[in-house]
Amino acid sequence: MARPGTLLVTRPEQRLRLLPTNWYKAFVILLAVVWLTVPINLSDAWLDVLARCGVAAIGAIGLNLLTGYTGQISLAHAFFIAIGAYTAAWLGVRSDLPFLLWLPATFVVGALVGALFGPFALRVRGDYLAILSIGLLYIGQHIFVNWTSFTGGRPGTSTGAPAAIGPLDFADLNLFDQAYSRRQGLFWLVWLVVAIVALLARNIVRTRPGRAMQAVRDRDVAAEVVGVSNARYTISAFALSSGLAAVAGGLYGVVALTVSPADFGGAPGLLLSVQYVAMIIIGGIGTIGGAVAGAVVVVAIPRVIEQISNSVAIPFVGPGEPISLFAFNNMIYGALVIVTLVFEPRGMVAGWERVKAYWRTWPLAD
Amino acid sequence: MSTPPRKPAEAGRPLLEVSDVTLRFGGVSALTDVSFDVAHDELFAVIGPNGAGKTSIFNCLNGVYHPQAGRIRLDGVDIMGRRPAAIAAMGVARTFQNLGLFTNLDVVENLMLGRHHLMRTGYFAGAVWFGRARREEVAHRARCEEIVELLDLGPYRSRPVGLVPYGVQKRIELGRALAMEPRLLLLDEPVAGMNLEETEDMARYVLGARHELGVSMVLVEHDMHLVMDIADRVMVLDFGQVIATGTPAEVQNDPAVIRAYLGQAS
Ligand SMILES: Nc1ncnc2c1ncn2[C@@H]1O[C@H](COP(=O)(O)OP(=O)(O)O)[C@@H](O)[C@H]1O
Ligand SMILES: [Mg+2]
Repeated sequence: MARPGTLLVTRPEQRLRLLPTNWYKAFVILLAVVWLTVPINLSDAWLDVLARCGVAAIGAIGLNLLTGYTGQISLAHAFFIAIGAYTAAWLGVRSDLPFLLWLPATFVVGALVGALFGPFALRVRGDYLAILSIGLLYIGQHIFVNWTSFTGGRPGTSTGAPAAIGPLDFADLNLFDQAYSRRQGLFWLVWLVVAIVALLARNIVRTRPGRAMQAVRDRDVAAEVVGVSNARYTISAFALSSGLAAVAGGLYGVVALTVSPADFGGAPGLLLSVQYVAMIIIGGIGTIGGAVAGAVVVVAIPRVIEQISNSVAIPFVGPGEPISLFAFNNMIYGALVIVTLVFEPRGMVAGWERVKAYWRTWPLAD
Repeated sequence: MSTPPRKPAEAGRPLLEVSDVTLRFGGVSALTDVSFDVAHDELFAVIGPNGAGKTSIFNCLNGVYHPQAGRIRLDGVDIMGRRPAAIAAMGVARTFQNLGLFTNLDVVENLMLGRHHLMRTGYFAGAVWFGRARREEVAHRARCEEIVELLDLGPYRSRPVGLVPYGVQKRIELGRALAMEPRLLLLDEPVAGMNLEETEDMARYVLGARHELGVSMVLVEHDMHLVMDIADRVMVLDFGQVIATGTPAEVQNDPAVIRAYLGQAS
C-alpha cells in the first residue's frame, strides 16, 4: 500500500506540484510510452490522422485559454490558424528558416494580430463578440485570396516547412541505422510540441496570469476591484490563444504540405472554428487535458466513420445516399456536443475525474 | 464589545478624505455633496435605508462609478478617475453586497487573486514555473493559509466557492479582501441575509481581522444594531445626502436620524 498522500491530494502543498499524486505520474509515463511506440505500430494513414489530431490539440488548448479560462467566445480561430500556416510558408518555406525559428515566429505573428483584435472584445461581449469574430473570417477570406505574394491566392501555397531540430530531421528520420517515414517522424514531432504547449499552458493557468484570466471569466467587475485589469487579461488571452492557433496552423502546413483559402477562409473557416468550439466543449471547458482529448475525438471521428462505412454500410449515409459522409460527420459533432452539454457539461475530463474518484475510494464508494 | 480607541484628530491627515461627491444617473441623484473622512485605524460605518446611496459611495471610492463632482483622496493622493484595478493596487479592498467571488475557483485561489497586485509573475515566468512563479506561489500561498486559518475556512477549501453555503461565501469574500493587505477595507453589508448567530460570527471575524491586521474600515450596513456595537463613528445617509455624522451615541439621539431612518426602519 502506498503511504498516505501519494495517491490522494491530502496536503495543501501538494497542490503546488504539477503531478500531485502517483496516479498522475503513472499516467504521464504511460503517455510517454504510447507516444514512443505508436508510430512503430500504426499505418502511415492512421499516423497522418493522429498528427492532425495533435495539430488540432494545440489550437484547442489555445481556444480553451481564451474561451474556457477567460470566458471570451470567438469564432475567428480559423483566421489565426491561417495566419500561422501562411507565416510558416513565408518564413519556413520561402525564407528557409529552421524549425526552431519559424515555429516560434508563427506564435509571435499570431499573438500580435490577436492582440490587435483583443480591444474589440472589451467593447463587445458574449454572443455579440462571437458574431463580430465571424467578420474576421470574411476579412481573412478577402486577404487570403487577394494578397497573393503572401498567400499564393486561391490556388494556395506550398507549406512543407523544415521540420528538423538540430540533427534530428523529423521529416526524414534516421535513427540507429533505421529509417522512419515522414508520417512517423511528424507524429513524434507534432505530439512533442503538444506536450510542451500543454505543459506551458498548465503552468500558466495555475499561476498568477491564469488565475487572473479565470477571475475575468467568473466576475469581471470583482476582478477589476481586486486589481486584475480586464483590459490587460482579455487582450493578452486573445494574443496567447491566437499565437497557439498560429502554431497549430504552421504545423498543419507541415503535415498537409499545401494550404489554400478553401481551408480556412469564409464559410470553411467558420466550420473549422465551430469544430474547435466543439473540441473544447466535448473535451472539457477550462481544462488543458480536455482540449487535447476533444481535439483527438473531433478530428479522428470522420476518419473512423469513413473506415466503418468502407466495411459496413451505414443506412442512408454515403455516396448516392440522402446523407453525405460529410453531413453525417457534422451531425455526429452536433450530437456529441448536445450529449456532453446535457449529461456532463464539464466534458470528458470531468467524466474521467468521476470514474477516477470512484475507483480511488473503492470499496468505500457506493 | 470593546473597540480600540480612536486615533485623535491631531495624529495627522485622515487616510480617506471624501469631499462634496455628487453622483447622478441621468436625472436621478444617487449622491449629493457627500463628505466624510476616515482616520487611520478607524472603523467608520455608513448606514441608511435601502436605496440611500451606500453602495454607490463604495463604487465611487474604488473607481467603478465616476462621480460628476467632488474629490476623493487616499493618504492625500487624488484617486478619482482612476481605474478600479489601479485603486486596488493602492491598497483599497472591498467586499460586495451581493457577493463578487470567482465561483469556479477554490478558496485559496480566490484569496490568491486578492494578492494579485502584490505579485509579479507574468505569462512568461508562469509558463516556465521554476524560478519566480514557484517562489511567489509558495510565499503567497503561505499568507493565504494564515487567512484560511484566521477565518476558519479550512473545511471548505477543496470545493469551488460557488458551492459552499452563502454565509461562508461572505466570509471568503472578507478573506479575499484581507488577502489584499489593504490600507482601507470597504465592507458592503457583510451580514446581509444572515441569521443572528452568523451575524455574531461575522462581527467576530471582522473585529478579529481588525485586531490582527490593523486595517482601517468603512462598513456599510442596512441594519443598525451591528454598527452601533462595533463602529467608532457612523454616518447616516438618506436619499443620497448625509443627514448626520458622529459617534454611535450621538447619531442614535439625533432627531433628524430618528425621523428619517429609525422611524421607518422599525
Ligand atoms: N448603475 C446604476 N444605474 C442607475 N441607477 C443606479 C445605479 N446604481 C445605483 N443607482 C441608484 O442609486 C440609488 C442608490 O443606490 P445604492 O447605492 O445601491 O443604495 P444602497 O446601497 O444604499 O441600498 C438608487 O436609487 C439606485 O437606483
Ligand atoms: Mg447597497
